[in-house]
Amino acid sequence: MTKALSWARVKSPWLIHFNTGGCNGCDIELVAALTPRFDVERFGILLEGSPRHADILAVTGPVTLQVKDRLLRIYEQMPEPKYVVAIGTCAVSGAPFKDCYNVYGGVDKVLPVDVYIPGCPPKPEAIIDGIVKLIQKIKGEESRG
Amino acid sequence: MTEHLLTLALRVLIYPGALFLIFLAFLYEWVDRKFLARVQNRYGPLYTGPSGILQPFADFLKLLSKEDIIPAAADRLLFNLTPIAYSTLPLVALLVIPIDGGEAVLAFDGDLIFVMFLLTLIVVTVFLAGLGSMSRFSIIGGVRAALQMLGYEIPMGLALIGPAVAAGSLSITDIVRWQSTGLRWLILLQPLGFAILVCCMLAELEYVPFDIPEAETEIVAGWRTEFSGRKLALIRLGKDLEVVLASALLASLYLGGAQPLYSLPGSITFLIKTVLVVLLFTFLRGVFARFRIDQMVSGMWRYMVPLAILQVILVEFGVGR
Repeated sequence: MTKALSWARVKSPWLIHFNTGGCNGCDIELVAALTPRFDVERFGILLEGSPRHADILAVTGPVTLQVKDRLLRIYEQMPEPKYVVAIGTCAVSGAPFKDCYNVYGGVDKVLPVDVYIPGCPPKPEAIIDGIVKLIQKIKGEESRG
Repeated sequence: MTEHLLTLALRVLIYPGALFLIFLAFLYEWVDRKFLARVQNRYGPLYTGPSGILQPFADFLKLLSKEDIIPAAADRLLFNLTPIAYSTLPLVALLVIPIDGGEAVLAFDGDLIFVMFLLTLIVVTVFLAGLGSMSRFSIIGGVRAALQMLGYEIPMGLALIGPAVAAGSLSITDIVRWQSTGLRWLILLQPLGFAILVCCMLAELEYVPFDIPEAETEIVAGWRTEFSGRKLALIRLGKDLEVVLASALLASLYLGGAQPLYSLPGSITFLIKTVLVVLLFTFLRGVFARFRIDQMVSGMWRYMVPLAILQVILVEFGVGR
């Protein structure tokens, strides 16, 4: 039974996309990864509109003071088990905006991040690779129990 | 007596009842997603089972195992009951449609009216689900679903009545039987009614030209925004069963339903016909863009209702029976 559940979890990761104040470069690449050219529905990945439906929170951009509460709220609206992917150098560490007066830094200052995808912006291939790494991580967690 | 009850229970629960229909629902969701992907020049689900055939099942299982959140503001009773009602209503409606060649499981005189009633009840459930969630997006979605129903319900009723007038019976089993004598399929006799019913079923299923109640680019996920975990799984299952219901209704009323053709048994022809109807739905969903709610309602009243009345008048005057 647990085997079947872990199989289902691995085979159907649904994304929700959230921009915490980036320049939109990573968003364009993430959207490109969802287009017919790369077609992530092959792996069962769907982009969902509502955080209540999603498993993976894909965050792009550095966390600003203004967006922090909203980011936490979106995260808390997601049902367990949930995972966070930081896409792009800004989301990984805050990058050029690291010491700005209005920026906390990377997503890991606020949320537990499971996979980091560096790049400015990361290529769609890199994003898909990151999601696959996350899926392998979920698989490992499930087998360890 | 007990033997009779046992066969009835088997027919309701296993074949051609609940278990078989749920299997069909998952299968048709896969057909729909795969064909939509082909229309959009991509592959669709590929690695979950052979060419992704287990994808809907994996999604369902995953959602069942997820956390079930009830928002603090939600009306608990409505929020808990509507997903169950939404997934069982299409199942009940499917029991009056003949699937395995002979009579339907619960066939009775006037079951066409019963199906029309259940189709309306599904939309009422959607409205209550939106209302019970108490979130701004859900309420807008629920109200849009109810408003959309005002547009398509009249032409849908008229398009369902056309075959009944032609066959002289309000029982779906009798309409199927009438069509199988001499291969007089009603799509050939009343093509206008078939086209109107396809449009109205697209609206009933909330498929793309009429996916106004769950428009994800405007109102997050519409009336189902707040549902998660088990409830979302039931809602997705209900939607898939509704697809089976819509295709079964179109196949039974206009394409001859479960009738034996050449050496094929009735259940096989029924499957072939319903898959063709699902492919038609998916194709239309792939090539259209969403209407606005006012365009949808006024378009339905301006064009669909007069055309549907014209079709019924033609049938009354003996054209197409």
